[in-house]
Amino acid sequence: MIFFLKLYNVSKLIIYKEELMRKILSVFLVPVFTLLFTFNAKAESLTLGWAAWDPANALQELSKEFTAETGVEMNFEFVPWPNFADRMLNELNNQGKTFDLLIGDSQWIGAGATYGHYVKLNDFFDANGISMDDFNPATVYAYSTWPKGTPNYYALPAMGDALAWAYRKDWFDRPELQSEFKSKHGYDLGVPKTWDELYDMCTFFQGREIDGVVRYGAAINTERGSEGITMGVTAAMYAWGMEYEDPNNPYSMDGYFNSAAAAEAVEFYKKMYDDCAPPGHSDAYMVANLDAYKSGQVAFQMNWYAFWPGVAKEDSDGRESGFFANPCQNVCAATLGGQGISVVSYSDKQDLALEYMKWFARPDIQQKWWDLGGYSCHMDVLGSPDFVDSAVYAQGFLDSMGIVKDFWQEPTFVELMLPMQERIHDYVVNGKGSAQDALDKIIEDWEEVFEADGKI
Amino acid sequence: MKTAVKKFKGLSDKAIAWIFITPTLILLLAINIYPLVYAIRMSFTNFYANKIGREPKFVGLKNYKKILGKEEIWEKMQITAHFVCWTLILQALIGLGLALLLNRKFKGNELLTTLIVLPMMLSPAVVGVFWTYLYNPQVGLFNYVVNFFYDFGVFDMIGSSTLAPWSIVIVDTWMWTPFTMLICLAGLRSIPNYLYEAAEVDRASKWQQFIHITLPSVLPFLLLALLFRGIENFKMFDLVVELTSGGPGSATELASINLKREAFEKWKTGYSSAFAVILFVTIFGFGNVYVKVMNKIKER
Repeated sequence: MIFFLKLYNVSKLIIYKEELMRKILSVFLVPVFTLLFTFNAKAESLTLGWAAWDPANALQELSKEFTAETGVEMNFEFVPWPNFADRMLNELNNQGKTFDLLIGDSQWIGAGATYGHYVKLNDFFDANGISMDDFNPATVYAYSTWPKGTPNYYALPAMGDALAWAYRKDWFDRPELQSEFKSKHGYDLGVPKTWDELYDMCTFFQGREIDGVVRYGAAINTERGSEGITMGVTAAMYAWGMEYEDPNNPYSMDGYFNSAAAAEAVEFYKKMYDDCAPPGHSDAYMVANLDAYKSGQVAFQMNWYAFWPGVAKEDSDGRESGFFANPCQNVCAATLGGQGISVVSYSDKQDLALEYMKWFARPDIQQKWWDLGGYSCHMDVLGSPDFVDSAVYAQGFLDSMGIVKDFWQEPTFVELMLPMQERIHDYVVNGKGSAQDALDKIIEDWEEVFEADGKI
Repeated sequence: MKTAVKKFKGLSDKAIAWIFITPTLILLLAINIYPLVYAIRMSFTNFYANKIGREPKFVGLKNYKKILGKEEIWEKMQITAHFVCWTLILQALIGLGLALLLNRKFKGNELLTTLIVLPMMLSPAVVGVFWTYLYNPQVGLFNYVVNFFYDFGVFDMIGSSTLAPWSIVIVDTWMWTPFTMLICLAGLRSIPNYLYEAAEVDRASKWQQFIHITLPSVLPFLLLALLFRGIENFKMFDLVVELTSGGPGSATELASINLKREAFEKWKTGYSSAFAVILFVTIFGFGNVYVKVMNKIKER
């Protein structure tokens, strides 16, 4: 009997405890679970990595529409350009899961494909009716394919770009400057057609006092740390007809990359730096060029198309900007910029990331992308009759995308970029050695890299 | 609790010492020794950290031979030596001078000390960035001040290969002289007054007092400060990267900057491990010799 009484008491105690537990649950745990479920409901999110610049803000704005359509939250990590490659390539090499989508530089495509960082997109494109024929061929070649030119796609062309020039149209339009220039050089002061003309115009403005302030010629790329001076000097080298390698004998660079014309182009670039750049412009790239231009120091700036919407929008205090594609010299060519969007193969949300890509590839979204300040590569946008008149830089962009050339896109591109940065900076800014020596030494460095990579 | 105390009481001094030392030892092994041994192992391979799936091959002393036979590496070492030597010389002279000045009692002494010490408290990256503005040939204060005393015209401290190595020396000296000064000041304040009183009784001049009392007393302190600065400057990275990125060309590319580029941009892990080992041995060797010399000076 006592045993049963004890059992009864214990069961009562258990029931009491259960009730108590239920109360605790209702008071504390239910809200916690509710919160957790709320988070879970919102847990569908993607993280996209890109460089921190104007187009990234435009993409963030555009992506709100994706969230509205699908309920998928978009998170962004934008890294300043000088650290962009370091940050992203470290992440990929460490097989990190931070990013589901990455808008990586065109030169990364080789490494992305070879080392398995990027998801191959052919099946996805086929299954969703995304055709690479709908995109500008130069951008597909540059941003999407590896090996180059083969129908193996690792990215969707996201942001077309090329190195171009902006100039102070308001200064160029001044009659007194026009007549002085014409009497000095025998032709009109206007958009330069060749690098020689560009040099004439830059030197014309160098040290000239306009509105009581001393102005300079051109803000050109001279940055040492990442890729700046290489992107700048190749704009000249391509125009002089430089090729990286023998087209019939890959990785054979002697006589091509270090040809007499290529060396002449590098010498010319140094002349531009010595005679046209503002004082102290010895380690300058995108932002420094923009600053020099916006502050009224220079008549020209070399920069990426990506910045032109901002420059055009911010014209004020009498500043009127004009834009033009990289001038020709022996041939017409421009340095390729821009990026494709890839799905990171280490992401746990690849399906969701592909959904975003599918949405981004839609022609209506591509049109909105251009309208917001991004450079669409979709033929529906570029081929639209209104496109050329839609922005002052639109024609230049079209012209440039037809003549673009890119740096090596090999998996070892960073190892190829670094010696070029050092050698060219040493010659152009530091004045050490000759252009020919610099190019010869770059080839030696590159051969070492290709040898280590088993390419030669 | 009592049992625990009793148990603890039962332990020998040696055992207690081991209990206290063990966590530190484990941390040291995990954070310092293991990576060091791993780096040494890597230095004998052709490992590339970015080439996923590619097995590293043993290459013997190839990386070491390549580094020691490479002219460019010696150039980087020369640039580093220039930077280290000049910063140490300037920081020793100016630091000691300032310490002697601040060792005197005058109005505003404490305020001046605080102001002088301020640069040392800033982040090197921040210092690097704002000195790029100070060095700007168009709007920078540095050019203005220099031209105020003598008209050199427009000159670019960072863009000129002749001036750039001095630009980093100046900034490091500006930032770290207060450190040398503080340690020297501590040394000066530890000198007992009776030594000077005795010297005055012996009719020693101020110069003689400085040479025979002040300098020998403060020298061990100064040498200690220079040891710290020497080691730090041999590894200097952040300040110079922000200031010049190693440019123009490679005029200010110190060994540590080159090492970072080889290791984390070119991803030559095996090669850069060998370079890191060489730098480590160099610093360690110099440091040891220096400490022995310093001890001998102290003994005198």
